[in-house]
Amino acid sequence: MSLVLTLHRIRCLRMNKVAFSSWNGKVVDNRNGKAAKDVAVNLPVPGGKVTAMMGWGGLVANDSKADIPSLTVGYLKEARKISCGECSVCMIGIDRLLDIIGQMADGKGTKAYLSEMQAIVKQVSANSKCSFGQSALYPVLDAVKYYKADFAALITGEKKLNGKEYRSTVTAPCMDACPAGLDIPGYIELIKNNRFEESLSLIRQDCVLPGVIGRTCTHPCEDACVRKDIDESLSIRLLKRAAADFDLAQGGKPFGVPADQKEEKVAIIGAGPAGLAAACQLRLKGYGVTIFESLPHAGGMAAVGIPDYRLPADILNHEIDLIKRMGVEIKLNTKIEKLSIKDLKKQGYSSLFVAVGAHQGNRIGVEDEDAGYEGFVDGVKFLRDMNLGTAIEPASKVMIVGGGNVALDCARSCVRLGFKKAEIIYRRSRAEMPASDEEIEGALEEGVSIRFLAVPVKIIAKSGTVTGAECIKMKLGKPDESGRRRPVPVKGSEFTVKTDMIIAAIGQRPELPAMDKKVGTTAWGTIEADPVTLATQMDGVFAGGDCVTGPATLIEALDMGNRAAEGIDAYLNGNTPAEQVSFAGVDLAKQRGRGLVVKGPAADVAFLDPKERAGGFEEVEGGLCAVDATHEAQRCLRCYRVVVWE
Amino acid sequence: MLNIVIDGKKVKAQEGSTVLENIQALKIEIPTLCHHKELTPFGACRLCSVEVKTNGTWQLATSCNTPVEGGMEIATASDKAKESRKAAAQLLYYKYPETKAVKEIAQKLGVEVSPEEAEGHDCLLCGLCVRTCSEIVGVSALTFQDRGRGRDIDEPKIIFDPNVCIGCGACAYVCPTGYVKMETDGDRRIIWDKVFKMTPCPVCGRYFAPEDQLKYISKTTGVPFSELATCVDCR
Repeated sequence: MSLVLTLHRIRCLRMNKVAFSSWNGKVVDNRNGKAAKDVAVNLPVPGGKVTAMMGWGGLVANDSKADIPSLTVGYLKEARKISCGECSVCMIGIDRLLDIIGQMADGKGTKAYLSEMQAIVKQVSANSKCSFGQSALYPVLDAVKYYKADFAALITGEKKLNGKEYRSTVTAPCMDACPAGLDIPGYIELIKNNRFEESLSLIRQDCVLPGVIGRTCTHPCEDACVRKDIDESLSIRLLKRAAADFDLAQGGKPFGVPADQKEEKVAIIGAGPAGLAAACQLRLKGYGVTIFESLPHAGGMAAVGIPDYRLPADILNHEIDLIKRMGVEIKLNTKIEKLSIKDLKKQGYSSLFVAVGAHQGNRIGVEDEDAGYEGFVDGVKFLRDMNLGTAIEPASKVMIVGGGNVALDCARSCVRLGFKKAEIIYRRSRAEMPASDEEIEGALEEGVSIRFLAVPVKIIAKSGTVTGAECIKMKLGKPDESGRRRPVPVKGSEFTVKTDMIIAAIGQRPELPAMDKKVGTTAWGTIEADPVTLATQMDGVFAGGDCVTGPATLIEALDMGNRAAEGIDAYLNGNTPAEQVSFAGVDLAKQRGRGLVVKGPAADVAFLDPKERAGGFEEVEGGLCAVDATHEAQRCLRCYRVVVWE
Repeated sequence: MLNIVIDGKKVKAQEGSTVLENIQALKIEIPTLCHHKELTPFGACRLCSVEVKTNGTWQLATSCNTPVEGGMEIATASDKAKESRKAAAQLLYYKYPETKAVKEIAQKLGVEVSPEEAEGHDCLLCGLCVRTCSEIVGVSALTFQDRGRGRDIDEPKIIFDPNVCIGCGACAYVCPTGYVKMETDGDRRIIWDKVFKMTPCPVCGRYFAPEDQLKYISKTTGVPFSELATCVDCR
């Protein structure tokens, strides 16, 4: 993960000394001046003074005078909004608890009400249908148990409820893992209830390219899915794709109408996922938006980095078209060589978002790399040329250097272009390969071979054309800063591989336009931007996507586009954007009590027969039909987590 | 067949059958409000909870939507199971005190109830109508509208889509509380506030089915409308 995103995700407060905590069942009570024990509670709320909070993990009070009965009411009111109503006990139980506390405050309560509250919490937790109902009420149990006197004071009329609106947020393990924080349980639930259209609208709030992301995402959400340890993770990516496919089959619903038209115009450089997301969100806020794109196609890496067999061009083009139909202007073949904010201001733009991506291949550090040999090419250029329609003459053998998704995309494309043999050479072993498992398995099925623990050291060429490579074997040494074991050359293990073509795919870096010095850049050649607002050092200029993070995923770029839109909107209005809530360091999968989960595998989709893949770029993975999607959606445990605080 | 144990008794259970089906086969009475043997279990009312032992631990589970596993032990009358069913009934009675079906079950499970006659017809969100419409009728005119993050819905409800409803009345038939009302009066049928035109049988003259329903059957089966327009008795 990139540096900036890491910074963005650790914005949470660590409370060390608390008056009371029952977080994750660990009770620390310092209210009566007892020996003040320290408790490390990662509070999943933004910085600032927090008096008390109540969440799925328990109750935490920083101040011994915190009004816990009122906080409990605030919590239950938020929980009530999430309780779906599909099972009786959770829905009615919450209403009954609110009713009981209300009656206590009206002086109608008796002490028996306290034991009824405890009984309700226990019964609802034991008998609810989903993960939310099974976990949500536990903190109320803690409140009644440890703040009994405070509730009793309501009954006697010594205390009143404060009627306050508490701050609150909702998360879930999948949502927290998603770089763009999509409301995953929400859109899955809508699919479950056959409400595909509403599901897509919910997805689009944070993900303007659902069909693209539904096909290409690396789905960290699925790795975080609680079901992963029970049977199989939900097929979250495929469910998103199902919502998008369903919409496309109905003709494609346009985006909402922009709010009141604003006077200001925003310029965006780069029509990749970050640029498109920012454009769409800014347009929805009413700004005029123009995107300047240097290539003849919009879409950035989604257009020129990902081959058609993974992401058919018409899916991307449809989603770009919907954004254009909102009134976003995309100027293709328009390269901004020199960035001048003065010129942009003259042209009527009030702010600028730089999202040029990272489209320049890294050097692999071999002899003669820059000799300009025929048959030596960098991976992103190879994919770009292919996607832009340049005819590529298939050679008999190609060697691809690298172990990431770009290397895999190159190898699998070569198979389709008619190369007789495609071999990946990777300096570490399978375990360290950064490419996703699906990609590696797909490549192997298609006949791509992978040579592990070896690296080329010299290109062999004859009259300017590649004929082979001198390679050396590697062994794994001590872990490096990335945590993976560092490959070390094995002395005297050099060997020669014959090949007609070498594709270098070991990472990319941005190619930035000439800029005013005031925009800071890093040692990696990326732009420095504020982790929250994405503002650069130059007033009014924002930056995001791969040109800030270095090569990352589409969903990370998309998220930065969303945040840039917030940052730009706040800048143009003279505000600071709302602080992000992060749950970093809090184990969201941990849950007090879980019901019996009926095991069942995730839904399967059809894949194109490996024998039919060579020679064409037909999409390999099929989607879920509506019926299968609703069934798959029913597997969701609905692990929503609510937290309120003051 | 799978070997399971219900209340200490060894039983052979069909693979893929539910705990509830096996309990009912032994004539053990378990209350249900949202269950129908022809429909996919939904687990809405939570009244059919029992204790099941899998992998060495006893857990509460709604019997309607829990499939049996080989070696599973089931306790239908343990204190925990009985308390759970009573608690679910108590909550349902708290919310729907005027609904007869709820009151009867609550009383049976030991909840203190008012002696007055229950005359309400509340929607319990049991989902029987929704499932009947999609699984039996095949039209999905009814969908569940849940609460959820950002959805701003105070009370969850069943949403009716008049554009696809064929007026068959299966939802009214299956509704356990009389919430779904259907009125048929001569050449008109009103259901979910939508008025349907009834078709008269050309032989006996009886208005026997909504036109939309016959059109739908004709479309899905390929039988010409004219053949369906004669009532079953006169065919």
